[in-house]
Amino acid sequence: MGFSISVEDGQGEATITLTGELDAAAAPQFKEAIEKVAEAKPQRLILLMDQLEFMASAGLRVLIFARQKMGAGVSLYVVGSRGPVLNTLKMSGFHHSVYLQDTYSPE
Amino acid sequence: MDKLSLPAVLDSLAELRRYARDAAARAGIDADRSYQLQLAVDEIATNIISYGYKDAAPSAAIAIHGVITADALVVTLEDQAPAFDPRGRQLPDAADLARPLEERGIGGLGIYLAIQGVDRFDYRREGGRNLNIFEMRRDHGTAH
Repeated sequence: MGFSISVEDGQGEATITLTGELDAAAAPQFKEAIEKVAEAKPQRLILLMDQLEFMASAGLRVLIFARQKMGAGVSLYVVGSRGPVLNTLKMSGFHHSVYLQDTYSPE
Repeated sequence: MDKLSLPAVLDSLAELRRYARDAAARAGIDADRSYQLQLAVDEIATNIISYGYKDAAPSAAIAIHGVITADALVVTLEDQAPAFDPRGRQLPDAADLARPLEERGIGGLGIYLAIQGVDRFDYRREGGRNLNIFEMRRDHGTAH
């Protein structure tokens, strides 16, 4: 099923949509997108994951990278993740550091 | 099931997961537990390919083999990289996992997810090969 990623820049926020299977082979694409988005210095980074079917720790490491790259003032939203992907995020303790939401709603 | 041997490259991960998914389906393992098995295989294979075979020849291979018994599905990953027992890796503990991402190290998370997700994980070194063994109970009483 592969992996695809799309990026949308908006007013002070950037949205990245992740689709398919995010494994170690796909993670560099995700990391590149984060680097690109960080240049515009958004206040909020929204990661849409409702179409993400699989995520390995390589994807989690890019989330850690995003958190560290964007700086403490930037809010990170993980939106629409479900099932085992959501479970992995929680097992790894990421709910302490990002907003996990069903649908996007700025805090 | 037939053993499947693949080039030790990250692009083989999808096929390794597919093999684990097919094996889980044949063993009557439900979707959530099948996912945990696929994740475990993916994480350990990623380690083998990225670190074990770091300086390996392009011909390096990783093989996967599934055996379905009356009680369990046993999936084995086999490689010829230097010996590495994932069970010896220091894994993140509860305090590490509660730490903000700003302060996270990145080590051990994959192996943690792999070992947590399966019913039994085992490792053996045999004849110059690493055997990483994942076992899932067949808990839904499929007829044999």
